[in-house]
Amino acid sequence: MENLVCGYDGVRVLNGVSFAAAPHEKLFVIGPNGCGKTTLLRALAGLIPYSGSVRVDGADAAPLSRKQRSQKIALLTQLATVTFSYSVLETVLQGRYAHLQDGFFKSHRPSDRNAALSCLEATGLSDLKDKNIRELSGGQLQRVFLARALAQEPQIILLDEPTNHLDFRYQLELMSYLDSWVRQPGRIVIGVMHDINLALSSADRLLILKNGGVFAQGKTSELDLALIDQTFDADVRAYMVRSLGQWT
Amino acid sequence: MSRGRSIRLSKNLKILIFVSCTVLALLLSVSVGGASISLWDIGLVFAHKLFHVPLPDGVDRIVPGLIWNIRLPRVFLSFVVGAALAVSGSVMQSVLKNPLASSYTVGVSSGAGLGAVIVIVCGISSGVLGMFLLPVFAVVFGLGTVFVSVLFASRIDRNLDNFSIVLMGMVLSIFANAVMMTLASMNSRHAQQIVSWQLGSFALKGWAVVGIVSVVSVVVILWLTRYAKEMDVLTFGDEQAGALGLEVKKTKWTLIMLSAVLTGVAVAFVGVVGFVDLIAPHIVRRFFGSLHKYVVPLSGLFGGAFMVVADVIARTAVSPSEIPVGSVTALIGAPFFAYVFLRSRQGLASHGSGV
Repeated sequence: MENLVCGYDGVRVLNGVSFAAAPHEKLFVIGPNGCGKTTLLRALAGLIPYSGSVRVDGADAAPLSRKQRSQKIALLTQLATVTFSYSVLETVLQGRYAHLQDGFFKSHRPSDRNAALSCLEATGLSDLKDKNIRELSGGQLQRVFLARALAQEPQIILLDEPTNHLDFRYQLELMSYLDSWVRQPGRIVIGVMHDINLALSSADRLLILKNGGVFAQGKTSELDLALIDQTFDADVRAYMVRSLGQWT
Repeated sequence: MSRGRSIRLSKNLKILIFVSCTVLALLLSVSVGGASISLWDIGLVFAHKLFHVPLPDGVDRIVPGLIWNIRLPRVFLSFVVGAALAVSGSVMQSVLKNPLASSYTVGVSSGAGLGAVIVIVCGISSGVLGMFLLPVFAVVFGLGTVFVSVLFASRIDRNLDNFSIVLMGMVLSIFANAVMMTLASMNSRHAQQIVSWQLGSFALKGWAVVGIVSVVSVVVILWLTRYAKEMDVLTFGDEQAGALGLEVKKTKWTLIMLSAVLTGVAVAFVGVVGFVDLIAPHIVRRFFGSLHKYVVPLSGLFGGAFMVVADVIARTAVSPSEIPVGSVTALIGAPFFAYVFLRSRQGLASHGSGV
C-alpha cells in the first residue's frame, strides 16, 4: 500500500493537516481563498520547510535530496510568464534535470533525450518540438509544461490550478490525460482547483480545507455536498443547480 | 533526423563565423591606432617575438615595442574585460529572470566605486600592494556590497525572491553612491581622477594587469559554464526550478557571487564600463537561442570583441586624445537599451499578460 500522509504544524498557514491518497487516485483540494491549498502543495513538493511528515510509498520524503524528491514528485503550476526563448524540446528536456548525473558538465544522455521525446509524443507536441515556446498559445504552452513534468518520471503529479486562464477544451484535455496517466502502477495526482465543477467531475477523493485545517475529506462519491456550502459560506449548490438548469 | 542535422550544422557554422569575426576584430584593433601598422608587419612581429624569426629591415624599430608593450596588452585587456562583463550579465539575467539585469543591478559597480574613491581621496598607499591597492579595494568593496545586499534580501524573505534581491541591490547601490559622492565633493581636487576612473580606460595597463584579469576571468567563466543547465532552469522562476530539482537558494548565491567576482575584477582594473553586459547576451540569444551552454561562452566572445572595437573607437575617434571607453559603450548601448525595453513591452502586449 502506498500512502501519503502530510502533517504541517506550527503558527503557519496549515495547522496539522493529515490526509492520504491511494495509488491511481486523483485527489483534489478545494477551499476558500487563503485556506492554505497552495502552501500544502509546496510542502508536499518540498519547496518550503514544514514540520510533520510527508511519506511517499511509506517512506519519509524529508531525507531525500532536492533532486531525489523531484524524481518522485512533479509540480504543474499556473501558466507562468516565459522570459527567454527556448524551443519546446529544450524546455521539456529540463524535466530531466533531476535525473542528470553529476559529471563535470552534466550533459544529457541519449536516454534523457528519448524520455523527453516520448513525453512530447504523449502530449501530442512532437510536431512543435523545434518551435519557440514564446510563440505558443497558452494551451500549447501548458502542454509543454505538462510534458516537462512527465519527463521527470514522477509517481506523483501536483497540480496548482494549472487550468487557470485556459479554455474548456484544454481543461478537459488535461483532465482526461491525467485520467489515463494515473492508471499506471503507483501513480497519484494531487491537485488544487479553484473550479469546483472541475474538481467534482474528476476527483476520486476530495480534501476540503478551511482556516488552515481539514474541514472534510473523503471519496467524492461519498462526501456530503452540503459541506461545500459550509466551506465557502455561500449557497454553492443552488448556483450549480441553476447553472445546470440552463443546460437541460 | 536530417532536419535536426542541418540545424546543428548551421549552428556550428554560425559559431565559426562568430569566432572568425572576433579574431578579425582583434587583429584589426592591433593594426589601427595613432600609427597604423599593416597586418603583414603584425605577423612579422609575432613571428619575431614567439619564434625568434629575425625582423626584416623594412620594419620600423619602434613597431615591435609598440605592438608588444602598448597595443597588445590593451587589446587583450579590453577583450577579457568585455568577456567578463558580458558573461556576468548573461548569468545575472538568468538568475534574476530579467533580460535587463546585470551585476551592476546588485551593486558591484557602486561598491567598487566607493572602494576606489576611498583610496584616491584618502591617498592610502601600501608598499606591499603598490599599484594594485586601488583594484584590491575596489574588488573587496564591490563584492562586499553584493554580499550584503543578497544577505539582506535573504533575511527579508527566506526564499531569496528576485524582487528582494533587486530592491536591496538598488538600495545599497544608491547608498554607496551617496557616500562616494560625499567623499568626492569634500575632496574636489581629486575630481578629475575619480571621474576618469569611473568612465573606464584600457590605456597603459601592462601585462601584469592583463595576466591577473585574464586568469581570474577564465577560471570563473569556465566554472560558470558548468552551471548552464541550472541557469536554464532558473529562467522559469524559483518555484518551477525548485520543483525540477534545483537547490534554488544555494545556486542563486553561487551564481550571483561568481558573476560579481567577474564584474568586480573587471571594474576594479579599468573602471565602470556599462552596457556590454546587456548587449552581448541579448544578441547571442537572438542568434543561438537561450540555452546557456551557448549563451555563456558566446556572450564572452561577443562581449570581448565588442569591447575591443569600442576601445578602438575610443582611442582613434578624436586622436591623439581619447574618449573614455565607457562613453563609447554607453553611446551605443543606451539606444539599444531603449530598443530592447520597447520590444519586450510589445512582446508582453501581444501575449496579453503582464509580469
